[in-house]
Amino acid sequence: MSRIITFSKALNEALQQEMEQDEKVFIIGEDVAKMGGDFGITSGIWKRWPTRAYDTALSESAIVGLSCGAAICGLRPVAEMMFADFIGVCYDQVVNNAAKLCYMYNGQASAQLVVRAVTGGGIRCAYQHSQCIEPWLMNVPGLVVVAPATPYEAKGLLVSAIRSNNPVVFLEHKGLYNTKGDVPEELYSLPLYKANVERAGRDITLVAGMTMLNFAKRAAEEMAKDGLSCEIVNPRTLLPMDGETIINSVAKTGRLVVIQEGPKFMGYGAEVGSMVYENVFEYLKAPIRRVTSLDTPVPFSPVLEDYVMPQYSDVLKACHEVMAF
Amino acid sequence: MTISKEHLLKVYEDMVLIRRFEEEVEKYSKNGTIPGFIHLGVGQEATQAGIIDVLLKTDYKFPDHRSHGAIILSSAPEDRKRIMAELFGKKTGINGGRGGSMHVNDLKVRNMGFNAIEGSIVVTGLGTAFASVYNHTQDVTAVFMGDGTLGEGTCHESINMAATWKLPLIYCVVNNQYAISTRFTESHPQPQLAMWADGYCVPNEVVDGNDIEAVIPAVERAVARARAGQGPTLIEFMTYRWQGHFSGDPAAYRPEGELERWKEKDPIKLTKARLLSEHGVKERDVQSIHARVESEISGYIQFALESPNPDPEDAVKHVYTDIEVEAR
Repeated sequence: MSRIITFSKALNEALQQEMEQDEKVFIIGEDVAKMGGDFGITSGIWKRWPTRAYDTALSESAIVGLSCGAAICGLRPVAEMMFADFIGVCYDQVVNNAAKLCYMYNGQASAQLVVRAVTGGGIRCAYQHSQCIEPWLMNVPGLVVVAPATPYEAKGLLVSAIRSNNPVVFLEHKGLYNTKGDVPEELYSLPLYKANVERAGRDITLVAGMTMLNFAKRAAEEMAKDGLSCEIVNPRTLLPMDGETIINSVAKTGRLVVIQEGPKFMGYGAEVGSMVYENVFEYLKAPIRRVTSLDTPVPFSPVLEDYVMPQYSDVLKACHEVMAF
Repeated sequence: MTISKEHLLKVYEDMVLIRRFEEEVEKYSKNGTIPGFIHLGVGQEATQAGIIDVLLKTDYKFPDHRSHGAIILSSAPEDRKRIMAELFGKKTGINGGRGGSMHVNDLKVRNMGFNAIEGSIVVTGLGTAFASVYNHTQDVTAVFMGDGTLGEGTCHESINMAATWKLPLIYCVVNNQYAISTRFTESHPQPQLAMWADGYCVPNEVVDGNDIEAVIPAVERAVARARAGQGPTLIEFMTYRWQGHFSGDPAAYRPEGELERWKEKDPIKLTKARLLSEHGVKERDVQSIHARVESEISGYIQFALESPNPDPEDAVKHVYTDIEVEAR
């Protein structure tokens, strides 16, 4: 049965229901046990399973390193990075260890772990608590990077991430935690590596995930008033990315706007654009547009942060530009 | 604790096997047959043989970049030639030639391999030790590290967590005096690195790493503590590498005469002298050990030389567990 719950609650449900199913799943991180996590995502778990929830010292490398070692012994660790930015501290463990283990072991063992990482801006916390770090990870074969946009996706994709035998960095946008949506009560999973066509259309393809999906939906409504139809593709998994769904969509619409929260240069929008140019250049009716942050660190003052971050008006402008070309 | 004649003969053979393995590896590295970097453990045989001698097949081992010896001794005798083939980058290598010298692993015997960044396996080892506790097994984890490794921040994170949670982990600090060119006394304040563990309330000791009869009991004490749920131990094995950091490094940074002084403490010579003088072993018995090792090693080399190269397209296998990466 489905009911309306928050993104946070959906994540918590995924964790608890997977822990009910599989005793090899445990959670580890800073303040994830007794406190239930800085954002409350793991609340109630330690009470139910005191031997499967571990508060650690402030030691991100040890958290991910331990998770790698436990994973190759067959356990399924779910580690929390209180802020995705902290992956900078344990980057070595994520990209040089977790991502390489399956390859190094010829598939006989792998880092079957999840690093839940709280990502994104908009909460006025500046440089080290606001970044979209997905491009740091997306050039690393062996990693899986998942980015849900709705409570429904949050639950279904986290379940798949926990069950995956690959190392998954699971990006949870803090701006989505309080958003609400329809989520089935029972345990279900959504496929990894598969983009979702949120809305079918024929004039413009909008690629957008996480908080940017909302901008895309609003823009599609707005453009519809002018009789234009937007197709929205939500990548869901950023690495490996479902290029096929995006390419097929652009082959149909001939126009592409990629909306990503992080900085423009080498953001994932660049890769989406390259895939489209390489595969369906002849179908394009207009140059690709990217709506992104500016190439700066994320500043603190609301006026400054809003100036740097992509805005809804930028999305509308890009849509009009690709139509006017 | 005394070590029996039979036991000493066995570990003597182990040490000779390491020495000859390394000498051959050096030869084929220098003539260009073995690709990439090679880090040799000549002079450190007692530490490697002693640690592996104590550990069980079911214990988790993380040998480091200078641990070919520990690696071959961990594996079953029939797999050892495949370790040589791995160093040669061959298809028959124990990991299909994918990893080479710095990444040899053999999960059958819980050799978990090395991540060629210092300090990385020190935190990975937390996880295997954690799994033993989580699964209520008796398996201990032994992590090999050098004196240089202790400079990495992960060592602090690891020992802090292992000590707090009483994980069955043994930090085997093989102090061969130099991190490439930098002497440990120039980069650490402690006169003995074992003292470093005091700050974490972790039992530690300094052991003559060239004396296998000192190495074995020290490792046994640490293993007993770990299996009894008493937490980690740090052992500092004082030893010396006879070669430079990598095969081809002339090691000009070492003071004159230092190497010669350490060669007098050759762990193999030391053990042989004891076998002859204290255990009544005859020179010809020792020679027959050397002959056996010689034939072993030449078998490894022949196997490695005659083995085919990997199929290039195998490079795209096992990036992920469930999806294929595009081939060329």
